[in-house]
Amino acid sequence: MEFDWSVVWQALPELFKGARLTVLIALAGLAGGLLIGIGAGLMRAYGNAALNSVAFLYIEIIRGTPIIVQVMFIYFALPLMADIRINPLMAAIVSIVFNAGAYIAEIVRGSFLSIHKGLKEAGLALGLPLWKVLVYVIGPLAFRRMIPALGNQFIVSLKDTSLFIVIGVGELTRQGQEIMAANFRAVEIWSAVAVFYLVMTGTLTLVLRITEKRMPIL
Amino acid sequence: MSLVEFKNVTKNFGPISVLKDVDLNIGIGEVVVLIGPSGSGKSTLLRCINALEDINGGDLVVDGISVRESRAKVRLIRQEAGMVFQQFNLFPQMTALENVAFGPRRVRNLGKAEATEQATALLAKVGLADRGHHYPSELSGGQQQRVAIARALAVKPKLMLFDEPTSALDPELRHEVLRVMQSLAEEGMTMIVVTHEIAFARQVGTRLIFMENGNIAVDGDPAVLLDNPENPRLREFLQHVH
Repeated sequence: MEFDWSVVWQALPELFKGARLTVLIALAGLAGGLLIGIGAGLMRAYGNAALNSVAFLYIEIIRGTPIIVQVMFIYFALPLMADIRINPLMAAIVSIVFNAGAYIAEIVRGSFLSIHKGLKEAGLALGLPLWKVLVYVIGPLAFRRMIPALGNQFIVSLKDTSLFIVIGVGELTRQGQEIMAANFRAVEIWSAVAVFYLVMTGTLTLVLRITEKRMPIL
Repeated sequence: MSLVEFKNVTKNFGPISVLKDVDLNIGIGEVVVLIGPSGSGKSTLLRCINALEDINGGDLVVDGISVRESRAKVRLIRQEAGMVFQQFNLFPQMTALENVAFGPRRVRNLGKAEATEQATALLAKVGLADRGHHYPSELSGGQQQRVAIARALAVKPKLMLFDEPTSALDPELRHEVLRVMQSLAEEGMTMIVVTHEIAFARQVGTRLIFMENGNIAVDGDPAVLLDNPENPRLREFLQHVH
């Protein structure tokens, strides 16, 4: 068969529309997931028994179930259980935030606890409260150690947005599927979709590498 | 008036009893040198003073505040008791100057300019005026430990705690740290020093405490005890460290 470039050109506007939505969901997911992940990770690392259990339960539930089940639950089950109506895009963002948050929590916990205990003691010995020691001393060091693992998680989350095809969010994969259903040009369309994802993950990798260069692990 | 007061302090790590009913008073201006075999409880005793270790029994009062009081009060104790660690524990992402300015900025809440000014003066005091912009990884062990002393002094403590400050250093780097400590003692700083530096104990110490099995076995004048150790365990210990 012959690769027909004109099919790709014709599909580009629709694919860009989908890619925009993918980027939006992914960025919201990473920002929200980072916030929740830092919160839950610190609760696991430094919280009392109650905070620790809450964070542990959250992480176990999310890690223990497929993201596709999570988004189906939020989109289809939640409205029945709690009368919460939610549009597909919101459902997608909420799922990716909570999903990424659980994995990021473990990354945060691991890297904070990997910082030499003497540095925490040195901060405390100056008379600082623990939260200031975490913000000014441990946090900046731990963040550097998180970057490689965060990079993995960011890429996984970005690609996981393709699963939201199941609730009809018009993201990149969904757009590709719809175009394909109309013109049956599987090779051209799925190649183009793959390149779109590669460009996005490549950009993420580049941003992470630049960050890592500027903030070497100490 | 005593600055540090141990009243029947006990400390356990699980089933192991590390401090057994320790009673001790340390007054302003004293330079107390703590020696003893490893596991005798000397580092633990020091770390109880600024509440890096919780005590299990008795009471420990530092500058009028008990270590058993609220966390906010314990922070006041820590601000009055500067600590120098065996492994220096400088903050690796900060330059020497930023390390020293950290306490004034984040503990005493001074502005950046004022904190930097104080830090510069303190670095000069420990002989490192020209090393302010170096990161800890670019400094020798002796230099790092002097920065660590300056960092502790920057919070303006009434008391300095030294936990084996020269044990991680090469012999030729020890003296530069010991000299800084000696000049600090000569200025009248109250100091409690866990060390194996017997010469420092003799020259600078005003009081020598020998610990054994969680007890204070011997407590007295360094010169007298070192020249004529009556306690047989102290005599044996000194033979090994000399």
